[in-house]
Amino acid sequence: MVSLLALEKLTVRRGECPVVDRISLSVAAGEFVGLIGPNGAGKTTLMRAALGLLPALGHSSLAALPVATRAHAAAWLPQTREVAWPVSVETLVALGRTPHLPATGQMRAADHAAVEAALKRMALEGLRFRSAAQLSGGEQARVLIARALAQQAPLLLADEPIAGLDPAHQITTMEVFAGLAAEGHAAIVSLHDLGLAARHCTRLILLGQGRLVADGPPGDVLTGANLAEVFGVRAFYARTEDGPVFQPLEVVR
Amino acid sequence: MLNFRLLLVLLSVLVAALFGASLLIGPAGLGVGTSLRALLAGQGEAAVLVMREIRLPRALLGVMLGASLGLSGAAMQGYLRNPLAEPGLIGVSSSAALGAVIALQTGLAAMVALALPLMALAGAVLSVLLLLMLAGARGASLTLILAGIAVSAFAGALTSLALNLSPNPYAAAEIVFWMLGSLSDRSFTHVWLALPFMALGWVLLAPLGRGLDALTLGEDAAAALGIRLTRLRLSLVLGTASCVGAGVAVAGAVGFVGLVVPHLLRPAVGGRPGRLLPASALGGAAMLLAADIATRLIAPERDLKLGVVTALVGAPLFLHLIYKTRKEGMW
Repeated sequence: MVSLLALEKLTVRRGECPVVDRISLSVAAGEFVGLIGPNGAGKTTLMRAALGLLPALGHSSLAALPVATRAHAAAWLPQTREVAWPVSVETLVALGRTPHLPATGQMRAADHAAVEAALKRMALEGLRFRSAAQLSGGEQARVLIARALAQQAPLLLADEPIAGLDPAHQITTMEVFAGLAAEGHAAIVSLHDLGLAARHCTRLILLGQGRLVADGPPGDVLTGANLAEVFGVRAFYARTEDGPVFQPLEVVR
Repeated sequence: MLNFRLLLVLLSVLVAALFGASLLIGPAGLGVGTSLRALLAGQGEAAVLVMREIRLPRALLGVMLGASLGLSGAAMQGYLRNPLAEPGLIGVSSSAALGAVIALQTGLAAMVALALPLMALAGAVLSVLLLLMLAGARGASLTLILAGIAVSAFAGALTSLALNLSPNPYAAAEIVFWMLGSLSDRSFTHVWLALPFMALGWVLLAPLGRGLDALTLGEDAAAALGIRLTRLRLSLVLGTASCVGAGVAVAGAVGFVGLVVPHLLRPAVGGRPGRLLPASALGGAAMLLAADIATRLIAPERDLKLGVVTALVGAPLFLHLIYKTRKEGMW
């Protein structure tokens, strides 16, 4: 298995307090990793530090790369959905090709193909000429995911990409990420919907107060003890004929 | 959205036409034939003087200044992702103006030929150093805006102080009139003084298109797309400062071009900040040439100031744009 990301004792401090505390892990091709944890657990900080967007102690294989090379190794979808100008959906998705373009900025056949593939994958062909600034929040989220897909990097890091989507688009988006992993890419996606995480991810990483609490297949991570300790909830979790079903039930503290 | 190349060609034709008009219109009242013969073949002593020493540098400065303001305005709006940003925002123009005002107030401008533009350039350079010190080499765009406002306010206060302390009403009037901005009575000395700085600015700003395009997605996403934001920001600040500092040095404060032109042309380039750079440079040159021609046509005897005309045209245009975009619910 090709390792696409390796972290060794990655630590981010805000003042004296560690927000991400000595996290070591590696992600290989074919994995769809769900990054879970309560608010403030350090999910966003971990991903940004892994990408080298934040100064951090320890080692990250991505942060060690030169900026231009890193853009070929990993795509990043931030949580804030920013579309500053009223550019068309197609133009916005094409921004994902930025690292691949020559100095002239001219799009080539491979770039057009990547943009088409990304639009198709997110079912956005019908919106391509619309102004991205005029879309609904959910549509904008899907366009920005398509932008990250068009980058065609082996590793995709996405910060709460499915927040605010309707159930059908949440499921199809999770399937897109799973599809990427099945094709030999990898995705690290932070999520709050543990039910979708349990069903679609091949691996979950549970963060609590900046530390790595559990790392493994969904069934091993979403244990009663872990949920009570980190999230403070009790949940129903079962493997059914329709796949794993997870439902938080009540707060236990 | 127009075809991008067609748009650039149309704007170039417009600039060329206005450049020609700027050469042919003036108080000397030369005929078209006389003007062209004087300019190109050097026929007719007085006409040659008017064409080559007065009108040609004025038209050239119009193109240079307009392109500089349009380009730096588009770059500034693209970087800050804000259609209200303008090149003066980082405080360079008010600092350059302060340098010029000091030259006028102390009488240095009257004693040494190029004291005024050189002092203005010195003011611009000092403000950039101060700005970079305040905002740091790294950091978000917000710190740049705040540092710019601080520098701007301080330079403005010192300019007021200079006015306040001016020895007599004539000196104060001279300062006020200079600050209104004008291209009249400029010579090739001014062209050669401004050109290297403006050219440096163009060279720094022109390649930023790709980074500005990526910034449409925000700073984090742009950084992850391989854009070196620290370098982009340094190029932006130095490029804008060169353009605007040199502009103020030779023409005084000419507002609204850097604000209105990018706004006006944005729909024509499909909102893409990278494509807006060349379009806005050409558009800025066209607007400034047109405004400078207007100063000569509307009130030839009254020495109407260029900055007054650009503001008079620019402000209502801007109001109209705001009204229109509000109705359409987009920028």
